[in-house]
Amino acid sequence: MPHQCTNCGHTFPDGSKEMLSGCPDCGGNKFQFTPARPPERTSDNTQQAGSKADTAGSSAQRGAPGHERGGAHGRVSRATETVRDWVTTGREREESGSNSSETAERERSDSFPEWPDSARPPSERSGESSTDEPAGGARRNSPTQSPPASESARRDRSVRTGSRSTENPEDTAQADARSAVVSPDELPPHSGTAGEEADGADKADPPDHGRVVKEPSGERPSLEQLREELNDQFESIKVVKPGQYELNLMELYDREEYIVSLQEDGRYVIDVPDSWREGADDS
Amino acid sequence: MGLFTELKDSISRATDRLFSEQEPKRIGIYGPPNAGKTTLANRIARDWTGDAIGTESHIPHETRRARRKENVEIERNGKTVTIDIVDTPGVTTKVDYEEFTDEMSKDDAVRRSREATEGVAEAMHWLREDVDGVIYVLDSAEDPITQVNTMLIGIIESRDLPVLIFANKIDLDESSVKRIAEAFPQHETVPLSAKEGENMDEVYDNIAEYFG
Repeated sequence: MPHQCTNCGHTFPDGSKEMLSGCPDCGGNKFQFTPARPPERTSDNTQQAGSKADTAGSSAQRGAPGHERGGAHGRVSRATETVRDWVTTGREREESGSNSSETAERERSDSFPEWPDSARPPSERSGESSTDEPAGGARRNSPTQSPPASESARRDRSVRTGSRSTENPEDTAQADARSAVVSPDELPPHSGTAGEEADGADKADPPDHGRVVKEPSGERPSLEQLREELNDQFESIKVVKPGQYELNLMELYDREEYIVSLQEDGRYVIDVPDSWREGADDS
Repeated sequence: MGLFTELKDSISRATDRLFSEQEPKRIGIYGPPNAGKTTLANRIARDWTGDAIGTESHIPHETRRARRKENVEIERNGKTVTIDIVDTPGVTTKVDYEEFTDEMSKDDAVRRSREATEGVAEAMHWLREDVDGVIYVLDSAEDPITQVNTMLIGIIESRDLPVLIFANKIDLDESSVKRIAEAFPQHETVPLSAKEGENMDEVYDNIAEYFG
C-alpha cells in the first residue's frame, strides 16, 4: 500500500483512486507515497500477515460485522483497518523479538528494512516526529530513514490534492484519476475475506518471486457466498439430502402455486392456481 | 393429486349447496408438530359428529396431509355454529428423517420426512388460500417462543384472521398456560387437554364466539 493518509495513517494500494474523494477515515486530503518496494516484498508482507492469521483474522472479524457503516465506504474502511492491523501486528512481532518462527526467519533473511516513520500510522511514529505536526510538513521535514527514492517516487506517482496539483499541470493519467469513478473492482476486498486470504496464505508456501496478487480477487468468493446465502434464504424447500429438509415458511406461504410433492432428485410437483389455467378451462 | 381434487370438489359442493345459508367457516388447526392438533380435531369431531378425523401418534409428523371434517355443528347456548375443521400437518422449518429412525426403518423415516415436508407446504398453502379462522395449538409444556410460532402467528395476524390460541396438554406436570398467555398477550389463550377432554366447555364457548 504505497499511499497513506498523512493525518490518520489510512493506507491505499498503488494506483488507488479512492483517495481522490478524501480519506474515508478522517476526511484528510494529504497523502504520502510510501517508498517503493520490490513487488515480492509486498507479497512477503502478506505472508507475514498470514503467519499472524489468528490475529489478523480476529481483527478482521472484529472489524467486519460490528461495523454500522454500510456500502462501499464502510467496506473500504474496514478493509483498510485490516490492512493496518496486519502491518501493525507484523511490526509488533518483529519488535517483540518473537522471531523464532519460520516466517520471522524469512523476514530477517530478506533484511526487511524498518518502516520509515513517514510510512507508519501517526500513533507509531518515533518520538520526535510529532503526530500533531501538519500533515504535509511532517513528511517533508522528517529526517528519518526515507530512502532517497521516495522523493521522486512521490513526485511521479503520488496523487496529491490541493496546492500541489495546481503547481504541476496534470498529465493524462492524473486527469483520468481525477475524473474517473472508483469501480468496485479497484476497492480493497471486504475485510472478512482478507482474513480468509490470510489463512490461505499461511498454509501456502511463500513464493520467493512473483507478482503482487491484486487484493480485489478476494471479492469473488465472498460474492458467491452471499449469493448462496440469498438463494438459501429464498428457496422454499431446501433439500439438504434425502430425508433432510429446510423450509422457508414465508416463501411457502407467499407462493401462489402449491407444492404437491417432492421428488427424490429434488424436483417439485406443483399445482398451479386456478387463475393460471382459466384460459385453458374456458376454451 | 387425488386429495387436492377431492378438496376442490368438496369446496364446490359446499358452494353449490349453500346458496341460501351462510357457508360454514373453515377453521384451520395449526401449530408445530406434536402439539396435539389431531387429538384436538378428533376430540371436536367425535364430540359433535361421532367420527374421528385422523390418526394420532406420539411420533411427530403423523399428520402429513391436511384433513378436513365438514359441517361440524357445535351447539352453544341454544345456538348452532357450523364449521369445517381442517387438521393440518405440523409446521416446522426443519425436517430430519433421523428424528424417526428409532421408531422405524431408515427408508420409512426418509419417506415420512419427505411427506412431512410436503405437509408443511400444504399447510402453508391452505393458510393462504382456504381458511377463515385459525385455532393455534401449542404444547403448554414447551417453550412457546419459537421461530415457527412467531412467524405463523405473524402471518395469521397479517391476514386479519380470527385466531384462538389453545394451550394444550395441561394434564402434563410441566405445563404452563401462563407462559403461552404471556408470549402472545394479544390473543385469547384457552387452556385444555384434548387428550383428557379437560376444559372442553370453554373450548367450545370460545369457538362459537370467535368463529360463529
